[in-house]
Amino acid sequence: MRSWMKMLKELTLRPKVHQVRKSPAYSFDEDLAKPVSGQKAKEILSKSSDIVFREFYLQGKESIPCLMAGVDGLVDKNLLDQFVLKPLMVDLPGRRELAQLTLSNVVDSTIQYLLPGLEIKKISKLSDAINAILSGDAVIFFGESKEAIVIGARGWANAGINEPVAESVIKGPHEGFTETLRINTSLLRRKIKHPSLRLISLKLGELTNTDIVVTYVDKVASPDIVSEVLKRLSTIKMDGVLESGYIEEMIEDFPYSPFPQIAYTERPDVLAGKLLEGKVGIMVDGTPIVLVVPAILTQFLNVNEDYYQRAMTAVLFRFVRYIGAFIAVTAPSVYIAVTTFHQEIIPTDLLMSISAGREGVPFPALLEALLMTIVLEILQEAGLRLPRPIGQTIGIVGALIIGDAAVKASLVSPLMVIVIGITAVSSYAIPYYDLSLAVRLTRFPLMILAGSLGFFGVAVGFYAGLIHLLSLRSFGVPYMSPIAPMRIRSLLQDTFVRAPWWAMKRRPQLLEIENPQSGGKGKE
Amino acid sequence: MGTTFLPVASIVSSAGGRDGWMIVLPAFILGIPYGLMVLSLLSQFPNKNLLQVSEIVFGKGIGKLIGVLYILITGYFGGLLLGQVGDIYERSIMPLTPISLFYLGTIILVFYLCKSGIEVFARFSEVIFPLIILALILNLTLSISRIEPGVLLPILSEGVMPLFWGGLKVAPFVMEYILFMAGILAFLPTDMKEIGQLRREVWRAVFLVGILDMFVAFTQILVFGPFETTRIVYGLLVLGKMVEVSRTVAGVESLFLGVWLGALVIKISAFLFTVVWGLETVMNLKGLKWEIAVCAVFMGIAFGFVRGSVLISEISFVDNYLILPFTTIWILGLWGTARWKKGKNIRGN
Repeated sequence: MRSWMKMLKELTLRPKVHQVRKSPAYSFDEDLAKPVSGQKAKEILSKSSDIVFREFYLQGKESIPCLMAGVDGLVDKNLLDQFVLKPLMVDLPGRRELAQLTLSNVVDSTIQYLLPGLEIKKISKLSDAINAILSGDAVIFFGESKEAIVIGARGWANAGINEPVAESVIKGPHEGFTETLRINTSLLRRKIKHPSLRLISLKLGELTNTDIVVTYVDKVASPDIVSEVLKRLSTIKMDGVLESGYIEEMIEDFPYSPFPQIAYTERPDVLAGKLLEGKVGIMVDGTPIVLVVPAILTQFLNVNEDYYQRAMTAVLFRFVRYIGAFIAVTAPSVYIAVTTFHQEIIPTDLLMSISAGREGVPFPALLEALLMTIVLEILQEAGLRLPRPIGQTIGIVGALIIGDAAVKASLVSPLMVIVIGITAVSSYAIPYYDLSLAVRLTRFPLMILAGSLGFFGVAVGFYAGLIHLLSLRSFGVPYMSPIAPMRIRSLLQDTFVRAPWWAMKRRPQLLEIENPQSGGKGKE
Repeated sequence: MGTTFLPVASIVSSAGGRDGWMIVLPAFILGIPYGLMVLSLLSQFPNKNLLQVSEIVFGKGIGKLIGVLYILITGYFGGLLLGQVGDIYERSIMPLTPISLFYLGTIILVFYLCKSGIEVFARFSEVIFPLIILALILNLTLSISRIEPGVLLPILSEGVMPLFWGGLKVAPFVMEYILFMAGILAFLPTDMKEIGQLRREVWRAVFLVGILDMFVAFTQILVFGPFETTRIVYGLLVLGKMVEVSRTVAGVESLFLGVWLGALVIKISAFLFTVVWGLETVMNLKGLKWEIAVCAVFMGIAFGFVRGSVLISEISFVDNYLILPFTTIWILGLWGTARWKKGKNIRGN
């Protein structure tokens, strides 16, 4: 019994330090803390066929044997041949310093006189050398020297910069993040060319050694939020981080809530916009998804294109999205409540038409709606996982053929098909997929409550959801702000409506930021 | 704001007839001095609720006695309000659904809200309040076509004395909030600037709620006439039932009831909070089990009590003969004694 309780506790209660799937102990673990050694590095890495080693003598001097190591496919071979091996191996007469090369001064002299590259770093620990090699850099070891040189020679093939499929825009930049962290940071840097843009590098994952970059704009982001992000990231101890989703679950405030508490984006312009609002970005190598914290509910219903369109147009689109989200949550439950308990609300003509449509349908409205919603979920999931052309076919088969046949067979009423159809279309108006999923999830309990208690049940479900949303926080920021706690200026400036750029004089009120003036086009 | 808008018209018209609406705002204004007295005690005894202050000012024995009375009155009233939820739903739109389900649904919400803490409670009220205002405005404006202005005339034909008695019946509404303020005091900021802000908010809240309730009473008297307004206990629900737009939108009281449920949840939660704070202060009983126990007591009172007009009479009785005298005497006595003791100390020094 006690072991069951312990297991339940482990599965449900999130610890303060996340020790997930600890990596095993290896024979070379102790060596990693020691000073650099080419031989040791070769011993540790030579069992992997993709690691290449090149032995040579510096400037032809047999007294200084060198070993260069890198990962085949990750390093740029042309760069190493032309700008590293050539200057190191070919004697360059005429420099007095090179004639006096010894093991004690070789590293400094090589950096100063021989290597022309920009990204060159001196290291002294074996673990740093191993990490650098496995991250795609090249490392040069010099005989028995206690120091080595890391050369930034990363040059692997990548997918290139494309427009993100999930965040496409009509008006606005069409570039998206890639799977390569350094390209992503460069895309961000192109947007914010100011020294206040901070990029803090970390490594997570004991086996994957994944590069993470925490980014924010100094004096704009709250120092408390930045330090909280770094603190939470430092509590993650796991063997591998393959996607930003791994981190998301570890650092969010309420892991059991269906609502997303961390925003994400694949677009550099969106990230730049959020950083300028005082938020903090978390970039993970190997994925184009960048996490943005803190997040609030209304942010998930706004898109960056709102800021590129004219203010009035943006207001209209936002209104449509909010209405869409409301319909997506409530439409089936309201239909069930009205047809089951509150027929008095329906105009007589419509009531007659509904009754005629429901004639012959053997199920109660609740069962009918649940059935249709489950079929819709199955169709959506099936369409999502299949190749795109087949996915479209699934949509046609599901919506037209099955839907039509179900109505003709009197399994469901035509109005129910319309309601579920409107619900599905409305949920597509929610721009963030994570929020759309949360909405889909909350629909089911609401329908059951509506089927058993009518509008009272809908109200109870709605208020319970509201209390849940009000109790959520994202990195200390209330999730429902600026609705509650109410911030009138934020509400009028950039929540339900989007004020013209010249009127957005201050950054969002919900973040305690050091510099509230937006510095945009707003007049003082 | 709570749920004062539901019975206010019936109460004032029973006392003041067609002129009853005039007394709503003045009766609410009675809350201002009491609110200010409570806030003055906050600056004198920071981070303490008035039960703790009572123990300091009156001594432990009398303080505990006041605490027990506070728990009993607020607990009983909270249970009656829970009963009111079931009563409203059963009588208006869902007569065939077992009343226990309304109690259960509401108490779960109330418990969840209280468990989420006072901050979430405040935010919940912040979200629901505009919905209540919107629903009230819709209710009132959509009833304009049914108004008969003649029922208001002649004005003050019975003199002003009926209005005075009517005011005494509305005053307990304000005292309900004073009771809640007495408990929440420990959570309020004690900075002088913020106390000043709280004082301004007391004025603002009293006037806003008073004016809105006055309009609710005014409209109901105009639509139903004074006699019918007195007879219909939940006139606002009937008003909602009568809402009709071009014969397309009709019978939407079930939608309005959703909003009124939010208001009732706020009010019952407020009384759950007061009982929980009282138990913690007076008897040092705190924790989840005691909160569940209070919810169970609320359910027991709701189940045990008769419904309909008897329930309304009982709520009026508690308001008029328990909450009003208890709060007026307690707060006034506490404030006066605390001032007197403070003055004596200053002179002594």
